[in-house]
Amino acid sequence: MIVRPRAAVLALPFLTGACSYQHYQSIYGNAAAETQQFNTLFIIFLAVCAVMYAAVIAFLIAGIGRRRRSTQANVVEDGRHHESDPAMHVGLRAWAAVVGVGLVGLAIASFFADRSMASAAANEKLSIDLTGNQWWWDVQYNSADASKTLRTANELYLPVGVPVRINLHSNDVIHSFWVPSLAGKQDLIPGRDSDITIVPKKSGIYRGQCAEYCGTQHAHMALVVNVVSYADFIKWWDHQLQPAPAPAAPLTQAGYKYVTTGPCSACHTIGGTPAGGTVGPDLTHLASRRSIAAGTMPMGEGNLYGWVEDPQSVKPGNHMPTIGLEPAQLHAVVAYLETLK
Amino acid sequence: MPGVFHGGVMRRVGKACLVAVLCTATVALSGCNRSADKQAPGKVIAGSPPAANHAVLAAAASPADDGNWTMPGKDYGASRFSGLNQINPANVGKLALSFTFSTGTTKGFEAPPLVVNGTMYIVTPFPNILYALDLTKPGAPTKWVFKPKPLAASQGVACCDVVNRGAVYDAGKIFFNTLDGQTIAVDANSGQQVWRTQLGDIQKGETITMAPLVAGGKVLVGNSGGEMGVRGWVAALDEGSGKLAWRAYNTGPDKDVLIGSRFKPFYAMDQGKDLGVKSWPPDAWKIGGGTVWGWLSYDPETKLVYYGVGNPGPWNPDQRPGANKWTTGVFARDISNGEAVWYYQTTPHDLFDHDDINEIILADMPWHGQRRPVMFRPARAGFFYVQDRRTGQVLSAAPFGYVNAYKGVDLKTGMMMPNHDKDPKVGRVVRDICPAAPGLKDWNPSAFSPLTGLVYIPHNNLCMDFGAMEANYISGTPYVGADVKMYAGPGGNRGAFTAWDPVNQRKVWEIPEDLPVWSPALVTAGGIVFYGTMDGWFKAVDARTGKQLWRFKAGSGIIGQPISYKGPDGRQYIAFVAGVGGWSGAVVSGNLDTRDPTAALGFVNAVKDLPMKTTAGGMLYVFTLPR
Amino acid sequence: MSSRCLASLLIFGVAALTLSACDREERHSRSKPVGETVPAGESPDTIWPGGSVPAALDPRAKLYDNNAPAISQGQQLYMQMNCVGCHFHGGGGMGPPLMDDEWRYGGRIDQIAASIAEGRPNGMPAWRDKLTDDQIWKLAAYVRTMSGQPSKDAVGSRAEGMSTTTPATLAPREPAHSSDTAGQ
Repeated sequence: MIVRPRAAVLALPFLTGACSYQHYQSIYGNAAAETQQFNTLFIIFLAVCAVMYAAVIAFLIAGIGRRRRSTQANVVEDGRHHESDPAMHVGLRAWAAVVGVGLVGLAIASFFADRSMASAAANEKLSIDLTGNQWWWDVQYNSADASKTLRTANELYLPVGVPVRINLHSNDVIHSFWVPSLAGKQDLIPGRDSDITIVPKKSGIYRGQCAEYCGTQHAHMALVVNVVSYADFIKWWDHQLQPAPAPAAPLTQAGYKYVTTGPCSACHTIGGTPAGGTVGPDLTHLASRRSIAAGTMPMGEGNLYGWVEDPQSVKPGNHMPTIGLEPAQLHAVVAYLETLK
Repeated sequence: MPGVFHGGVMRRVGKACLVAVLCTATVALSGCNRSADKQAPGKVIAGSPPAANHAVLAAAASPADDGNWTMPGKDYGASRFSGLNQINPANVGKLALSFTFSTGTTKGFEAPPLVVNGTMYIVTPFPNILYALDLTKPGAPTKWVFKPKPLAASQGVACCDVVNRGAVYDAGKIFFNTLDGQTIAVDANSGQQVWRTQLGDIQKGETITMAPLVAGGKVLVGNSGGEMGVRGWVAALDEGSGKLAWRAYNTGPDKDVLIGSRFKPFYAMDQGKDLGVKSWPPDAWKIGGGTVWGWLSYDPETKLVYYGVGNPGPWNPDQRPGANKWTTGVFARDISNGEAVWYYQTTPHDLFDHDDINEIILADMPWHGQRRPVMFRPARAGFFYVQDRRTGQVLSAAPFGYVNAYKGVDLKTGMMMPNHDKDPKVGRVVRDICPAAPGLKDWNPSAFSPLTGLVYIPHNNLCMDFGAMEANYISGTPYVGADVKMYAGPGGNRGAFTAWDPVNQRKVWEIPEDLPVWSPALVTAGGIVFYGTMDGWFKAVDARTGKQLWRFKAGSGIIGQPISYKGPDGRQYIAFVAGVGGWSGAVVSGNLDTRDPTAALGFVNAVKDLPMKTTAGGMLYVFTLPR
Repeated sequence: MSSRCLASLLIFGVAALTLSACDREERHSRSKPVGETVPAGESPDTIWPGGSVPAALDPRAKLYDNNAPAISQGQQLYMQMNCVGCHFHGGGGMGPPLMDDEWRYGGRIDQIAASIAEGRPNGMPAWRDKLTDDQIWKLAAYVRTMSGQPSKDAVGSRAEGMSTTTPATLAPREPAHSSDTAGQ
């Protein structure tokens, strides 16, 4: 039997699940308890099914390759009742038993995997409300102390090892929350409350994606999830609760004035300023995020310029209008936005 | 006679007799009702309480009647009780029109006329014209007119018609507020402006519709705009100069709310530091409502002013998790410097726009063998609160109509117990919430008679469907986040006029009304209760039994306070202005379209038939007994 | 009829149908910068002294009136910019009704756009510096659906949340009459 090198290479990640594969957006990422459970189950299924498959193929080849015995020819024309081969009986029973054991084993494995994922859901320690909009993610961290409620957009920070329940809502059409390295997909359905529980296990940055076609910019509706230590998570939360810093330089002050009195404040909120719009993402700590417009572009000064000046050419059809800023206004606005760390 | 009904002939005779008897009886009995009115008669439920068991007026807050009417509540205790007794159940049927006056406005008229020593003062809805009529001359000609000329754009930020709840007379001056946020003092004799202070900012969505309270040398004013993302406050101006003496906000840090060492809330839920910040998401308290657009009462003995606080904003409660202090509750403050003495939150984390701004009637009441200084509050939430006015302790809170949004008030903790089946949900419609957003009773005040011991409550019977959605904050525009549809509650009548026994916490009699009762009540020592209906019937009802004694059809629906005064000729007069409008009558005063059930915050669905029953107006009617 | 004749008739029919739908579905996402004036559409009862001639209808009217994506975006903006808070779903409240046949400042799409941009006495806010031209015209296109004026194949259908007025596809077409600015 010739071993095909390509097949062997492909088998490796399946079997080990932990090689130099890029795991920031991968279903083999194994970064959370959910994906770990799922991948373990997947390997069990793969192993059992591979064995069965190999056995079937073996029998098939044996069946094709076996020569007919000449005395068996014209059996049917004899018209006499033919005794079946006792070996065949044993073989069939054995095969049924193997299949039965295999299926029961798979069912048990599946049951335990499901139960473990559900028990994580019962122990949630952190609650997040995630609302899908066309085409961005509205994130609210809930707290028993109402004044610690945090609103942000398009980025999640999660602490390692802490079960977090993400409540999923939608403001318009059906979206789907999918961070492959952390968990499976869960739909955000308007008018319905669904949720997903994740227990992240490995720190890192992971990318998520809307997984249900939701309109023209569905492809640009990504979500960045940062999994950090618990201490770093608390530090992040406290920082996010701070209002936007007051602008110091004349340029940033001019930007502040435009942003809070012009069209920006009709849709966006910046904490600590008169801008209180809830139509678009919260911008209080915009400059600390990794991407602009839900993964459309990486955060950076040039990209900010491009986005603010003409969002319709970057993400055509999205709900942020191209306002047509004058150059001086644009410089001031971007300068101010960059202070929102 | 055993044989009478046997046999054919006798049987026919027997039947004929029976029929004859039945016919006569029917005719006789039908004649009984001929004198009664087609309108639903008063339904007596229980007996009046015995005199020894009555509550009485708080003496310092409610002095003896001098025949004048100088403030909307009649006195600082908000009794709306007239001591005049010329008009009584025996002669009220002869009440006749003495004179009329057209105010020239057609928006909702909620203000009472004031009468001071022979002059009548009337302040109109926007444009808030102040008239002085000379009662000593026949036909009450105009003495002077004062036109404050408020900004027309203020009409665009007034949620519930461009009303004004009245002026106040004190020490030779008339004080009133304009829609665009000014408080004005006018000389009562000459009509010249004495001072004018700008307190509200329409760019933020603030207006002022309330009647000020003038006491202790201060003019107390509160803002409106809980539906506009405004931050609520009450301010005190110096009576002589109009300069700001103090301002207390109803959300935010303790130093803004004027909470200091003297502040002692009775219940644990209201105790803590900076609760006006801690019980809101960050920054939400800055646009959180808590306005003071209703009634203030004052106890001259303790120098405490009492007022209720309006709803938190937005209506969508998911945007403001937390108890949302200090909204939908009652404050007691020292009138000289505004510092808070106690507070009680009626509906923490309010879900249904149940502002707590209704009238606070000060009384002394027998309670478990003692006489206690109390306050009566028929609240929007549907409960009649009796609270000790020194501490805020709730002595009783019984529902005075049908309520399913709450399970009741836990008297141990003071907390309202919500019915979570009725919690609003974003993206879904929750149905059959009673009472609806205007509450079991809205701003229109009740009256209390120490002679009968009863509180006369004009109120609603409405339920609603509520669809919550995310509200977007843009200053100067509404900040609500809800689609609402209102309709009649159980029984099918949209309103009722109830006589309530506050000591025994039960209804004594009740008159169901087809339309919500949006007019305030007046009760006199002569034993008559006066109120008006939204389709224009002004009614006089026996204070003890609820029997309708007289009525008059005015040119427009009545939502304004009736008053009673002693004219220059010594006779007792009854006066009110008829001009339908307000939140309930906006469909008529604003010429709204009845095909949209959510219009006027859902009220249009409840009163789609109103435009057929009445039209807009603004006419003063004055009645008296013929000589 | 020959098969060639039938085929060309079929092609012609399909082309006609698809081409007529083009305008209805055309999307615009850019417009004049914020603050550039939307021309003030004159009110319906303006007196033109000395025989002067009213201006022609703004060419933008054709792009937005009866345009389905514009109406749909306009509906979103109507809720988000709090128009619904004063005018509700056409019945009115703080603001006058938009679903009836009485227009104080005109019911043509350019007149409505001008009212939104400039504000009006008695309380209509001025949105000129808060919304782009494109957004204002989209709002105006949606406002017209409440009185049934645009063609029924461009308007949205029933509400998704609470049912309010008759769906726009069934709304009766109200004529655009003028009305006294005091609104009575």
